[in-house]
Amino acid sequence: MKRSSRLLTLVLSGLLLAAGAVPAHTSADEPYEVYNYDMWGEAIPSQAGYTAGKSVSGRDLGAGPMDGPSDIFCDHEKTFYIADTGNDRIIAADSGLENAVRIYDKFIMPDGSETTLNSPTGIFVSEERDWMYIADNQNSRVLVSDKDGNVVMEVKKPVSEVYDQKRTFLPQKVIADKAGNIYVVLNNITTGAAMFSPDGEFTGFYGANRVQPTAEIISNYIKNIFRSDEKKAGMARSVPSGITGFDIDGDFIFTCSQSSTQTTDTVKKLNAAGKNIFADLELAFGDYRPMYDVSNNKLMQSAIVDIDISDDGSINCLDRTTGRIFQYDEECNLLFIVGTKARQLGGFDTAAAVESVDDKLYVLDSAKDTVTIFEETAFGSIVHEATALYNDGYYEEALDPWYEVLRMDGNYRRAYIGVASALLRKGDYKGAMKYAKLADSPKLYDKAFEAYRREFLRRHFGKIAAGTVILAGAAAVLRYRKKRRTAAADKEEKEE
Amino acid sequence: MMDLTQRQWVRHAVTHPIEGFEDMRWKKSGSVRIAFFIVFLLFIGEIFDERLFGFQFGIPYDKTFSIVPYLVKSFVLFGAWVVGNWAVCTLLDGEGTMKNICIYSAYSLVPYIVQLFVNVLLSHVLVSDEVVFINVIRLIGVGWTVILLFSAVRSVHQYSGGKTVFAVILTIAAMLIMLFLLVLFMSLVQQIWIFILSVYTEISYRFRV
Repeated sequence: MKRSSRLLTLVLSGLLLAAGAVPAHTSADEPYEVYNYDMWGEAIPSQAGYTAGKSVSGRDLGAGPMDGPSDIFCDHEKTFYIADTGNDRIIAADSGLENAVRIYDKFIMPDGSETTLNSPTGIFVSEERDWMYIADNQNSRVLVSDKDGNVVMEVKKPVSEVYDQKRTFLPQKVIADKAGNIYVVLNNITTGAAMFSPDGEFTGFYGANRVQPTAEIISNYIKNIFRSDEKKAGMARSVPSGITGFDIDGDFIFTCSQSSTQTTDTVKKLNAAGKNIFADLELAFGDYRPMYDVSNNKLMQSAIVDIDISDDGSINCLDRTTGRIFQYDEECNLLFIVGTKARQLGGFDTAAAVESVDDKLYVLDSAKDTVTIFEETAFGSIVHEATALYNDGYYEEALDPWYEVLRMDGNYRRAYIGVASALLRKGDYKGAMKYAKLADSPKLYDKAFEAYRREFLRRHFGKIAAGTVILAGAAAVLRYRKKRRTAAADKEEKEE
Repeated sequence: MMDLTQRQWVRHAVTHPIEGFEDMRWKKSGSVRIAFFIVFLLFIGEIFDERLFGFQFGIPYDKTFSIVPYLVKSFVLFGAWVVGNWAVCTLLDGEGTMKNICIYSAYSLVPYIVQLFVNVLLSHVLVSDEVVFINVIRLIGVGWTVILLFSAVRSVHQYSGGKTVFAVILTIAAMLIMLFLLVLFMSLVQQIWIFILSVYTEISYRFRV
């Protein structure tokens, strides 16, 4: 008995060694437990899709320490721009984040005078015009300049009836679309982002959040029908939370809102008309059930502070409370959860901004004053490959990558769905049923079962028809004989 | 006339909703053993309906399995119904004994149980577009059982129609009260148990020091 158990351990440890030796980057050496969600919304262990490679400070860039940086952006030439808020400057760094290329702290106005920044909180570089858009927060302006530091345009507080003049104009984040329209997130405006035409004219607000219909708001709505105007004026108004961050991807603008009390519209995908495409889909971003922090005695409610769209369409949402990046594919299926709240590499204190370039994620921490670079693991790259194929409709081509994903992580639910869809397309209905069951997907199972049933009936139609006829005949004969027997018995009774 | 075996009586009662139970009463038939077997089948059927249903109609939560809800749905509810009905109808000049109430009520559950098993079988043949068949069978099963229960209460106590409705409403109220008291009692027992336990721990600590 003892010997056999020792043999077993030997074999098992050998297997473990072999398993550990093959893939280079699949084992989780992160300073946190990597997890994902299953169909029931319960956290289950998972493989890491990204692993923290290194963290870069201002000193590493040769630009001196940063002070509370709040935004990072990578332009089309793979140059990084970091809004170093506390030092009133913009740092431009090379694509590997090794050296600072240029430090922008002074700009030259069109009339030749010099101007400096005051707490810049947002930076954007447009591909079409090669201009920098800087949200110059404390100067109450958006500075548009070329890459040599010559100011092209200054966007200031709009003089418009739509813009309440009592409110300040403190730009938080800024982006520009292909046409050159400028969108500015302001931290005291809840009616959406301020939108400016390419020549700096205020054109209105864009993409306001909705108010979450809580019980209190609904009851207030009903009460308001009967309230007098004077009373209504004295009531606290219910306003939606403002937009916190955004990113532009082609024709769509993605916004996120950092609110610990509101769960509607935390992440939106807006089209050119400002309509939210995610509005009618029942989507949840961030942790399903907020984690309870024992040491601080509070719930860690997700607060998504920044959003970034990868080149392949993945949506990266940065949650400040938990220090996690939630990566979704373009259909909003959760792919990976990366990061944590920690002092080690891969953990954050106050995560402020996220940026993705190729297969890397860059996260800016405004308390640690560093940029952490996450590299895609082997597992991550294969999931991305399979997801991209799957979302483009190449189910069969995605089959092998999905099998590979399952080999690395048998808990990955999307892979089961992918395999089931591929097998269904291939005509292996029995296999599709098996994998749909493993994926906990009744819808897929239904499709596979319907096809399987159709095929089964077609193949065995002869036998089924013959069986039915024989059974019906036998039943008829039996019934007839029984009837005759009872009739005979009745007759006998009468004769007696 | 009507010399049926106990098993044939079940069929007769179920297939003759109006006079079946009257006949049974007249012949003083019905077996407690069969009644308990039927309730046991109800228990099995409830589990099957939840656990063995076709996956195309939804996947049950299978990380944990607790038998208690199924016990409550079958034995406890049935027991509450029998005791409640007996308690109410004794006050309302009902003629039924506890034994007869138990037998008649159990017999009237048969269509519902048959529906459970038939639907579990059907759910492995149908796809989700054809869910209407399952719903119709369920509706028939439940409706039939309700009619049979009504008829059972009426004939076991020899009531008029109006009085039966009244008795059934009172029975349901009695069931609710009983279940409420049961929950109350259980939480009380729990509290007492915790109290005894903490006293014991306290004393045991004192002795150790």
